[in-house]
Amino acid sequence: MATWMGVKSIENVLELTGIYFSYENQTVLEDVSLSLQRGEFLGLVGPNGSGKSTLLKIALGSYRPDRGEVRLFEQPIRRFRQWSRIGYVSQKANSFNLGFPATVWEVVASGLYGKMGLFRRFNKAHRIKVDEVIEKVGLTPYASRNIGKLSGGQQQRAFIARALVSDPELLILDEPTVGVDAHSAEQFYKLLSHYHREQGLSLILVTHDVGAVTTYIDRVACLNRRIHFHGDSQEFVAQQQKILSDSYGHEVQVVEHDH
Amino acid sequence: MVEILLHYGFMQRALIAGVIIGLISPIVGVFLVVRRLSLIADALAHVTLSGVAAGLLLQKYVAAFAMVSPLYMGMAFSMVASVFVEQLRRLYRSYQELAIPVILSGGIGLGVVLISAANGFNVDVAGYLFGSILAVGKSEILAIVGAGLFVLVIVFLFYKELFALSFDEESAVYAGIPRHGINLLFSLAVALVITASIRVVGILLVSGLITLPVAASLQLANSFKQAIVYAVIFAQISVLAGLVAAFYLDWASGGTIVLVAVGILLCVMGMKRLIIWMRKRQDNLTTG
Repeated sequence: MATWMGVKSIENVLELTGIYFSYENQTVLEDVSLSLQRGEFLGLVGPNGSGKSTLLKIALGSYRPDRGEVRLFEQPIRRFRQWSRIGYVSQKANSFNLGFPATVWEVVASGLYGKMGLFRRFNKAHRIKVDEVIEKVGLTPYASRNIGKLSGGQQQRAFIARALVSDPELLILDEPTVGVDAHSAEQFYKLLSHYHREQGLSLILVTHDVGAVTTYIDRVACLNRRIHFHGDSQEFVAQQQKILSDSYGHEVQVVEHDH
Repeated sequence: MVEILLHYGFMQRALIAGVIIGLISPIVGVFLVVRRLSLIADALAHVTLSGVAAGLLLQKYVAAFAMVSPLYMGMAFSMVASVFVEQLRRLYRSYQELAIPVILSGGIGLGVVLISAANGFNVDVAGYLFGSILAVGKSEILAIVGAGLFVLVIVFLFYKELFALSFDEESAVYAGIPRHGINLLFSLAVALVITASIRVVGILLVSGLITLPVAASLQLANSFKQAIVYAVIFAQISVLAGLVAAFYLDWASGGTIVLVAVGILLCVMGMKRLIIWMRKRQDNLTTG
């Protein structure tokens, strides 16, 4: 038992316990518990209206659950202030207006603003950081282009760069590949996978794309108001049909990615 | 020609006021337009009208206010209203534009009642409605310079937060940017821009100087910094050309300034079309 005291337990980056949430009188989440360990890549799947986005908003502190506890980096969310440790990429389509006058560089740089804090000016180190991230996502030739003039896939990579530029430890992505062609989506997942493996980034990916989940992801949670499955992606693949028909309520066509 | 213009004290003041307004209106305007809030300027301008009416009323009946410009009262009213706008936007998260008609009609209602209660002023209310830059007094110049400095300092200090909130408010909030504080400061800056602009273009035309140069600059700008620089250039051209034309042709200065801004917008749109058309023709010639 003495060694137990000395061993640092594996840190939970996110821990949701017994979350209940309802809009008006419609229950959206019922007794949802979910945890994410450091370095884990979790896929959150579930049908439309299953409460996935609501759960993310609760995890990010913009909705307060009716019941249950949220902990971020082992701290209760009420006391959590280091928001720059978390990166967030929303569904591209509804998050910005295509005519916005900003270059890719300006958009990526804005990812540092929250971490920098008030009254801090942008300096050379910041500039280098922005250039590096833009290069990593392969947008260097487009850095000074207007963000609205890029393709959907390129825009999504710019948003990933914006989220990654502040070196977050946890990245949360809400259906990032909606409206992005298959090839770009593929590259996008590879990029995520790279950050996950090389830098130990913890990730939560909300997606409809069950095929992608099984290719790149360690663990899967299947949500439809309740958690219907939470386990290894291997196990998920093995019992895929059963889990999905349980949670979606009908047979689901699974699109496989061939690698 | 320039010497003749600068010979007159009123013209000097008009030019100083015009240059300051031509700087701060488009800067604030870029942020308002990209956040789809350009009508907020109109709403606050109408509240400023009721403030000016209240100021005129006090001037008429309270001896202590006899020498105080009613613009200060207008400024106070629009600053209070700008705080209300923020509150209303928070209250109606999914109907944010609702704040605009609420504040706008409230402002006009109060203004009209105050004007009628005063039973007619010996000052021309039309000067506030349509602008009378040539009648800008010495104390008003100080107020305009003060407002201009405040707005520039706010935008300079909080440029990065304002940019992040304008581009993607949701992500900015998740990144820990203090939304409410920044939005409130920005609303105060907008209120100050409007009060300062009233003497130059008038309540009814305030949003013209805030939005028209931005509309033209958005046609050309690639980056956000470019959008700001182009908008300022267009606004300065509008104010200076408008003032000179108004002086020589004896036209209303506010209307002339806004018409120049409309002219610039039309020119920019026309030139853009022309360039696109010429490029297409060239492509056709080279490929065909």
